[in-house]
Amino acid sequence: MSDNTTDDDVRTDGSGTGIVSPDDETPAWSERKERTQGLSRLTYEYFERARREDQDLRQESDYVERDVLAFPAWPHEMMRNIALTSFFVGMILFVSATLPPEMPNPANSSVTPAIILPDWYLYWSFGLLKLGPLNPDLSILGGTKLMADRTYGVLANVVVVGFVAIVPFLNKGSARRPVEQPFWAAVGMSGVIFSFTIAALSIKNLIPMDSHLLFDLTFLVPIVSATITYAVLKTMREGYMFDLNRRYYRLRPPK
Amino acid sequence: MADEFMKGFACLMIGGLGWMTIGGWYRTPSFEGAQITGEVTVENLTLYDQIGLFMGEAFFWFAVFGALTFWVLLPLASEFRTYLDERSA
Repeated sequence: MSDNTTDDDVRTDGSGTGIVSPDDETPAWSERKERTQGLSRLTYEYFERARREDQDLRQESDYVERDVLAFPAWPHEMMRNIALTSFFVGMILFVSATLPPEMPNPANSSVTPAIILPDWYLYWSFGLLKLGPLNPDLSILGGTKLMADRTYGVLANVVVVGFVAIVPFLNKGSARRPVEQPFWAAVGMSGVIFSFTIAALSIKNLIPMDSHLLFDLTFLVPIVSATITYAVLKTMREGYMFDLNRRYYRLRPPK
Repeated sequence: MADEFMKGFACLMIGGLGWMTIGGWYRTPSFEGAQITGEVTVENLTLYDQIGLFMGEAFFWFAVFGALTFWVLLPLASEFRTYLDERSA
């Protein structure tokens, strides 16, 4: 070891820990170590022991690890991209050759169509414009509404989009699996279901169901699905921890 | 296990694609109305038409049974085998 090298340097030959947090948000190993209970403790021990054993193996061997930061673009990345591109181009060619779409008469721009609908991926927003029944009649104003139904619908869009934008800032935990945080998984699940039910509400004249029932189901089904998700994940937690333990001890039986 | 999932998924996708294509040829009488599952309106089926209709059925059942085999039957069999092993051990 030469003079200008100290033990504090980060090395990749397995002699140091080589662990550097990518940013200030990511908990360091020492911070993870301070979590002393439950699933976070178990996860920490699992990965820490696995990492430690890898490190010991590397130190025992005479293999010198190259200081590689990433795979080269050619051939690794290019071959993957070519494979993916070929698949999708082939799919487009196949479908357009075997199932050519019908070309109906050109649209008449001077006549309004009977049913006006946005593209399917905007149905949820269109459905939020139909929340008029939720707009309260205020008795203090003599039974009139505070704002027009159309203003209420636009405001509902602002609220929903605002909530979706806030979600990433609400929970910055380190959990990576739904089973580790059943509550937030349930919140996400209800949002997914709500996006479908509100889209179904927007085309309520095409849905073979009583429109009042459909309106109620639009809000009830997400709550029910959130409850089911929470219950299922809460039940799975114990099995998940058991499975993690069992897999660990099967791979590395205690000495 | 991931391999088994991918095999079943491949069966489902290949079978579904073939079924969809042949359904689009023979079982879609018009753009508006029944799609892929409609009645066969072609009269005087030639040999090629009959082969095509047969292939459509074959693709459909390949999708169903392929996915069932790799997602349900084979995992069930392996679970049963491990259960028997654990019991005899």
